[in-house]
Amino acid sequence: MMDDGPKYAQIPTSFGHELRACLRCRLVKTYDQFMEQGCENCPFLDMERDHDNVVNCTTPNFTGIISVMDPGRSWAARWLRIGKFIPGCYTLAVAEELPEEYQSVCQDNNVQYFPPKRV
Amino acid sequence: MMLPRSSYGPKHRAGPLHPTARIVPTRIAGGDEEEAYDLEDEEEEEDDEDDYEAEARGGGKASRSSSSRGGGGGGGGGRKRSREDNFIDDSAIEDDEEDDDDDDGGGRPKKKGGGGGVRGFFDEEAQVDEDEEEEDDGEGEDDFINDAGADLPDEDVVRGSRHRSMPMRDEEEDIDEIERQVRERYARSTHIEYGEEAAEVEQQALLPSVKDPKLWMIGHERETAICLMQKFIDRSDLQIKSVVALDHLKNYIYVEAEKEAHVKEACKGLRNIYASAKITLVPIKEMADVLSVESKSVDLSRDAWVRMKLGIYKGDLAKVVDVDNVRQRVTVKLIPRIDLQALASKLEGREAVKKKAFVPPPRFFNIDEAREMHIRVERRRDKDSGEYFEMIDGLMFKDGFLYKTVSIKSISTQNIQPSFDELEKFRKPGDDMNGDMSSLSTLFANRKKGHFMKGDAVIVIKGDLKNLEGWVEKVEDETVHIRPKISDLPKTLAFNEKELCKYFKPGDHVKVVSGVQEGATGMVVKVEGHVLIILSDTTKEHIRVFADHVVESSEITTGITRIGDYELHDLVLLDNLSFGVIIRVETEAFQVLKGVPDRPEVVLVKLREIKSKIDRRTSAKDRSNNMISSKDVVRVVEGACKGKQGPVEHIHKGILFIYDRHHLEHAGFICAKAQSCLLVGGSAGGRRYGYVRSKAWCFEISSKYFAITGKAAPKRTSYELFGGGGRGGRGHDALVGKCIKIKSGPYKGYRGRVKEVTGVLVRVELDSLMKIVTVKRDDIADTPTVATPFREPRYPLGGETPMHPSRTPLHPYQTPMRDPGATPIHDGMRTPMRRGWAPMSPPRDNWEEGNPATWGSSPAYQPGTPPARPYEAPTPGSGWANTPGVSYNDAPTPRESNYGNAPSPYVPSTPVGQPMTPNSASYLPGTPGGQPMTPGNVGMDIMSPIIGGEGEGNWLLPDVLVNVLRAGDDGPGVVREVLADGSCRVALGSSGNGEIVTVLPTELEVIRPKKSDKIKIMNGNFRGYSGKLIGIDGSDGIVKLDDTYEVKILDMVILAKLAS
Repeated sequence: MMDDGPKYAQIPTSFGHELRACLRCRLVKTYDQFMEQGCENCPFLDMERDHDNVVNCTTPNFTGIISVMDPGRSWAARWLRIGKFIPGCYTLAVAEELPEEYQSVCQDNNVQYFPPKRV
Repeated sequence: MMLPRSSYGPKHRAGPLHPTARIVPTRIAGGDEEEAYDLEDEEEEEDDEDDYEAEARGGGKASRSSSSRGGGGGGGGGRKRSREDNFIDDSAIEDDEEDDDDDDGGGRPKKKGGGGGVRGFFDEEAQVDEDEEEEDDGEGEDDFINDAGADLPDEDVVRGSRHRSMPMRDEEEDIDEIERQVRERYARSTHIEYGEEAAEVEQQALLPSVKDPKLWMIGHERETAICLMQKFIDRSDLQIKSVVALDHLKNYIYVEAEKEAHVKEACKGLRNIYASAKITLVPIKEMADVLSVESKSVDLSRDAWVRMKLGIYKGDLAKVVDVDNVRQRVTVKLIPRIDLQALASKLEGREAVKKKAFVPPPRFFNIDEAREMHIRVERRRDKDSGEYFEMIDGLMFKDGFLYKTVSIKSISTQNIQPSFDELEKFRKPGDDMNGDMSSLSTLFANRKKGHFMKGDAVIVIKGDLKNLEGWVEKVEDETVHIRPKISDLPKTLAFNEKELCKYFKPGDHVKVVSGVQEGATGMVVKVEGHVLIILSDTTKEHIRVFADHVVESSEITTGITRIGDYELHDLVLLDNLSFGVIIRVETEAFQVLKGVPDRPEVVLVKLREIKSKIDRRTSAKDRSNNMISSKDVVRVVEGACKGKQGPVEHIHKGILFIYDRHHLEHAGFICAKAQSCLLVGGSAGGRRYGYVRSKAWCFEISSKYFAITGKAAPKRTSYELFGGGGRGGRGHDALVGKCIKIKSGPYKGYRGRVKEVTGVLVRVELDSLMKIVTVKRDDIADTPTVATPFREPRYPLGGETPMHPSRTPLHPYQTPMRDPGATPIHDGMRTPMRRGWAPMSPPRDNWEEGNPATWGSSPAYQPGTPPARPYEAPTPGSGWANTPGVSYNDAPTPRESNYGNAPSPYVPSTPVGQPMTPNSASYLPGTPGGQPMTPGNVGMDIMSPIIGGEGEGNWLLPDVLVNVLRAGDDGPGVVREVLADGSCRVALGSSGNGEIVTVLPTELEVIRPKKSDKIKIMNGNFRGYSGKLIGIDGSDGIVKLDDTYEVKILDMVILAKLAS
């Protein structure tokens, strides 16, 4: 889906609490990385331009990490609905929903948003 | 497939290949590293030369060890170290090789290894408390420290230093730098966070974070997963598809790949994975399960209720003030547990005495108090909120609350159900519960299904229609349709159930369906917003509950009054050897009023915190050294509860628990030192009269009280026995002012009035000699007045309302008998009556006032008082054993049962008693009607001659010869009939030939028989028997019974001469 984008998402440079997950695509990176490059899957969220967007569209509350090397051929990636995203580190689940205004941003960009399944 | 040991492992167990990619859990080199670290720890202890060095080394070591682990970054030092430590292990060797590996592979993993290796996964709370819990806690989540400024100093420093020191590890200045940073960091953190616990923190903060291998392992899986991703990017020949690290699964990662070989290849050289790690294949069926992780919904918003998980505040309720999602921290406000004293000494630089076990109770912070203790209180404005806080030693206070910033992980947010009391405490005065929307919503979160039902009165609490009242019409899941009260609105409106709250009016009778008061019922007496004040049916106490927690109900339940072995109002021994009375029973805890005099201390204790029930009956001495036992009425004469008065319910270690009906708090219980109390009626001189009286009264009260609480009437046994004993020693004060007869000693035979009682001596004003003499108490023949004290206790009871119903049928007999006060008849009839009928006896008033006045002057009355017998009986042992035991224990029984609404045991006695009344019809001569009623006498009469007062006239029977003392009719007469009212029809003349007159008992005097006279026995076992007086020995008569020719020795008092 990102023809002109990078081949891989940035790989987190740390493993701790600095990690945040994109609320839409569940890509996991550090806050700084989101600030630097935004989310490779969701450029329309404009994270690299606005600190607020990073805070609003990412969360530190996520569960589990999956490094997807080959999203197209990975069953796990498909199962997690991240099969069409760029290779990188994702999380299995995020705890929060994308804020509504960003959900409408998704709609505006014809991108489907799946809210996380709640317990 | 599972990787046993890494890619270097010589043997590969080829699992069956699967067409698709495979998920393979791979064990990570975690466990063994722990061991390695343990070794290191030991070593560290050895060379613990001084703090600085240790610290510096800690840092250095950390980096060394991380490098030895990290492999990639591993300089010579790390490896060397490993070997020194005997940590020769696959991984160590592997490290060496990995180095090479990584050298061509690119340096990135190294960097990461360094970054992740020595992360101190600390929570600030963890520093506060050394419990193991925080480890678990930390483990459960990826509990990384954040750099909010309060982190463990080591963490960042160590990490930072590692980065810096990698290339120049051995340089001294670097160590100095670390040291400096540590100090700096630590100094800061102390001031920001730790306040009161600084001393503990100090020590802990200096521990190298790497010491905790468990914590270190967290994130390891993630790290591995991320490293593999990096490796994949660096070397795109890796054929694995994905790597999964689950937060809840330690030591394993899952690798998705087509072939096991791919997994091995990918894992090759990864420092975190054992070369020999086992690779197992995950069955297809389970693959989906591996990945189904439900997102934890963390609904942490402002004003939400949470509970602290760690530290001294563990379990405490807190309210979220601010959430910092970026830093994963929340600011909560809670009721501080500050030991101001300790804080003050700490601030003054004194070494505070460390009491580890002591956790200060939660209490609102009071600046003035702090200032009094010379604690410097700063007032600062918060940068963000603009609010002012009082700062002490880094602690932030506002309105008495402590504001504390903690990691999100250190609070629990799920299923918080604050109890009402807790919420109450959080309420500032004047704070309206209504305004506290979120606290309500927290409560609503715990609503049960079917919370609202059709017909429920509800009120809207949110949104435009707030405060609209209505009734529930229909409930559909979370939507509740209500019919509004206001008619202009549409017929039904739909609301989310969270927008509604139940609504009640004063006067509604409700039942509490959740919360600690669950099960209680009562009437709504006041509505304060969403809080109802209910007058409980059981305890008559006011209880506060949320409107949401009750349903309308006409049911009246008692609520729970018992958990396990412990019941309401029991005296219990608590864990820490303190004790108290259970004053309230909640669903899973008791409220206990502790046995601390002066200030009421109520604690909430769980069942397990109660050691045992204290059942032992003890007594204590009041201020005037009166003995106090259970049920005595005492008055508190000093201390906080001064002036309160009531029966003693429990005595333990000199502490009394007094029940005062008028005391509205603590279920009416007051705790006071025995020494601060005075026995009601007891006097400074330790006079006993009132003692017995007080008993009477306490019965009265306690009976009522127990009637209310539904508890059985207090056990009487001990009292009864005690009361019996009291006849010997106590109750003698009742003698004062009474007329007595001296039965032995130099004044034997004299009568007089008691002036004073001092110990065993009695001063008696002799009627005949007009002088006051001192005689021994034992020399006094007991008179009815002596009986009074122990009769009294029951009169008030007997006279109490509850008794009346059963009395009614007897009135006709009793009343006339009592009122005329006819001496002989009345007294004669009284004995059995008193024994068996005590409860039936006339109210005390009659006795007390009537006694001395009416009878006291009557010489006929004074002597011959039946109760004297027990004293005078030559065999007091048997007498005591029987008489009081039987009669007193018997007597209460009907009374108790009356209270218990089971009058049956009592009733049967009625017919038996009737013959005893001066109803001549019912007792014919020779009919031993009285016997069953006077069991106490049985033994005595048989065993011993009965000594008593002269009882002439007391037990009149037909055919006895009497002297009529009435003016005009003077002279002897023969009793023909004893009337129901106590008076007698007497045929005048010594042979009974004269006219028949009706004479009051007071106007009759039995004629004493002489030797060889025919007699009739008027009392005792042989009442009604006739016989012949064959001899007189002092006050005893030797009687030969007509029927059996038996010879009996009987008191002359009960013998009456028969008309010939």
